[in-house]
Amino acid sequence: MAFDMNFGWTSTIGEVVLGATNADGGTRRRSYRIGGGTTLPFMEDRAGSPSPLIALEICDYLPFWPPIVTNYCGDLVNNVGEWAKAADGTYGADLIRLYLTSTRQRNFSDIASLGKVVEDVLAASSLPLIIEGSNEPKIDSEVFQKCGEVAQGERLLLGTAEAGKYRSIAAAALAYNHSIIAQSPIDINLAKQLNILLKEIGVQRDHIVIDPYTGALGYGFEYSYSAMERIRFSALKGDTDLAMPMVCSAIDSLTIKEVREAEPAVQDEMAIQWEFYTGIAAATAGAEIICVRHPGTIPLLRKAFTDMKKPGTAAEVR
Amino acid sequence: MALKALDIYKLLPKKNCKECGDPTCLTFAMKLAGGKADVELCPYLSDEAKSVLGASTRPPIRLIRVGMGERFFKVGEETVLYRHEKTFYHPPGIVFRVSDTQAPAEIAAVTRRVRDETFTRVGTDLRFSGIAIENTSGSAKTFAKAVATVEQEQAHLPPVLIAKDPAAHAAALVHCGSYRPLLHAATGENFKEMCALAKKYGCPLVIRAATPDGLARMVKDCTAEGVQDLVLDPAPENLGAFLTRSTQIRQLAITRLVPELGYPVYLDATATGQQDAAVALGIVKYASVIVTDPLSPGATKASLTLRQNIYTDPQKPIQMNPGLYRVGTPDKDAPVLMTVNFSLTFFTLQGYLESTRIPCFMLIVDTEGLSVLTAVAAGKLSEMLVRDSIKKFGVEDEVTHRKLIIPGYASPLSGRIEDATGWKVLVGPRDAAEIGEFLHEEWKK
Ligand code: B12
Ligand code: SF4
Repeated sequence: MAFDMNFGWTSTIGEVVLGATNADGGTRRRSYRIGGGTTLPFMEDRAGSPSPLIALEICDYLPFWPPIVTNYCGDLVNNVGEWAKAADGTYGADLIRLYLTSTRQRNFSDIASLGKVVEDVLAASSLPLIIEGSNEPKIDSEVFQKCGEVAQGERLLLGTAEAGKYRSIAAAALAYNHSIIAQSPIDINLAKQLNILLKEIGVQRDHIVIDPYTGALGYGFEYSYSAMERIRFSALKGDTDLAMPMVCSAIDSLTIKEVREAEPAVQDEMAIQWEFYTGIAAATAGAEIICVRHPGTIPLLRKAFTDMKKPGTAAEVR
Repeated sequence: MALKALDIYKLLPKKNCKECGDPTCLTFAMKLAGGKADVELCPYLSDEAKSVLGASTRPPIRLIRVGMGERFFKVGEETVLYRHEKTFYHPPGIVFRVSDTQAPAEIAAVTRRVRDETFTRVGTDLRFSGIAIENTSGSAKTFAKAVATVEQEQAHLPPVLIAKDPAAHAAALVHCGSYRPLLHAATGENFKEMCALAKKYGCPLVIRAATPDGLARMVKDCTAEGVQDLVLDPAPENLGAFLTRSTQIRQLAITRLVPELGYPVYLDATATGQQDAAVALGIVKYASVIVTDPLSPGATKASLTLRQNIYTDPQKPIQMNPGLYRVGTPDKDAPVLMTVNFSLTFFTLQGYLESTRIPCFMLIVDTEGLSVLTAVAAGKLSEMLVRDSIKKFGVEDEVTHRKLIIPGYASPLSGRIEDATGWKVLVGPRDAAEIGEFLHEEWKK
């Protein structure tokens, strides 16, 4: 007698393509098709179902970045191209998530310099790219326009659209065929509403990745964990406005007290474990992209994700 | 199918004798209906009533207690598959493993670590749960000695005994049999002897089989031998196998499709070759007893925090009682700092205030457990609330000045709070870590 699990799901998570290779008009050496899930994460029976992707977050202006990362990585962080190259080669990320933190300086206006940053990163690594633009409504239209244009054809994932600010990012995504991260504050209904708003202005479902917002472990993570599960299950039960892949970025992880105040000898390990435990739990709850800042977290997550797949389905499709 | 409380009540003796631990038969019936009590608790039930009630009112996952004394832990009695459906009730015991081939000094050191190590978060002491001793040597005598070494530390930790040979268990139980150790494990070959030991010492017993139906069959065998307190080890060879099997067991138990699987799950995190990943996965996906080698400092804090997070009731953030709290012995000139009654916020701020060594008052207002930013966003933090709290908690009798420090994130409210309270408002930093500097510079002025 063998027992079957039956969750009563009827639907599938939509797919989103990240990055474009030569064949598709881009310059990336690979592209990813994420989503497509039909049941609980890691429980797919179909062979070759993808593992969650691991993105390394980097930035173009260091004062807004956790010192623990810049100390660990050393000089290379002074050159965003070098950093991107290391993310791809040395650190082994699947994706690079570039934060244009320079735009968060007071009265920032040098939009042209951003184009250069994006070009440098695209040249330094051939991984698909996520770009986080500005948080400043006054310039975000120009910023997204610039990124979208410079990386035309590359199928970027652009972030971050929120209920109060999604038009300029959507405009850039639509004009240059990029996808969008849609973020809402840990609430399934707000996530759905934002997706509907995006749909209304013409952003297709297969160009949206949901960011349910991740509180750091110990600082609200449990809410995010449950929001992710609920979004995933609503999608599997047939709600197409929630049937998109999810991204998890617990950006506060490296600035929380436990990590910041750790003994110097164990501080890197503390940071890595904090990101690692968060990443495992978030992937189990349904996140398809796990973002980290500490390079040391990447190999641990990679090994675990491979092993978490249902035995016999572990083949990677890339 | 589940019975309604009134239907159940009809079957109870209606003596209202309180022996079940409930004040009346009716409240007991309500608990039974909710899967929160065991029919066995009422000593006066007829056999007929028992058989009617037994299957449908028993909690879908049996409550199992491991250990004696202050540090015992209970697992099981879960009612949902996902925490947002209600809550997860009993956090897994995370148990450190030692091997009987280790030097006694090492074994003693691990025991003391589990006994003494605490990590305080949000006002709660987080600790590892117990100590597992594994019979790697193959010798019953060596095993018993290792168990004796653990017991010598007088740590009173819940023990888990891991050995294939019932004779080794028998030798070890001489030393710790009265502490309700968890025995690992009964298998197809040894279950009769293991059940005999579990019965003799009244301990819970782990049964081990790689498939849910294998486990279900062994549950029948062991309960037939008279052992009710069981824990299931699905013997995962990797992380994926654990995830699949534990999810399957949980679903079949919760839905009562296979009542034989209604027992807590055991996870040997060391067997997967990826201990930290296994611990994290065990916490989120239904493990109730997790055996691991001693964890690193980072994994220690991350795992205990993840366990605390996942086992928090999603409907009720951990809250403080609103009121006026003192840091040190503040006098009439001491600063008053306002914040919300979300425990995490309170303890974070309190920690930083203590390290400034400036005596002060903390005025905790009732935002229903929401953090500062969340409360501001939700409109739960208002000038009226602040005004009423100042009155209610008698702040004006405690200090002679009329200056209130509010969190940086509450700055949009500063003008309105001034108007409503007549107090002067000082907007503090956003990050509580900067409060010391702020008090030294701004308050002293
Ligand atoms: C977990 C969380 C939730 C949980 C609630 C948790 C809780 N108990 O509060 C849930 C999921 C329920 C939630 C809901 C909402 N949330 Co919310 N949530 C968070 C999250 C991720 C963490 C909050 C937290 O726990 N912080 C930790 C505590 C310790 O922080 P804190 O209380 O602010 O305290 C710090 C400081 O303020 C300071 N401090 C505290 N007191 C004092 C006092 C003084 C005198 C001083 C000087 C300093 C000081 O010290 C502390 C440490 O530095 C934040 C994101 C974030 N990173 O903050 C979003 C966040 C706060 N939420 C947000 C929103 C919008 C909401 C909702 C309105 C969305 C909705 N669903 O409608 C709701 C509102 C609630 C409702 N209607 O019931 C937004 C707020 C946007 C804004 N800037 O106003 C945030 C910032 C997320 C985002 N980026 O969009 N949320
Ligand atoms: S023990 Fe039985 S008879 Fe006594 S109050 Fe409880 S349910 Fe009623």
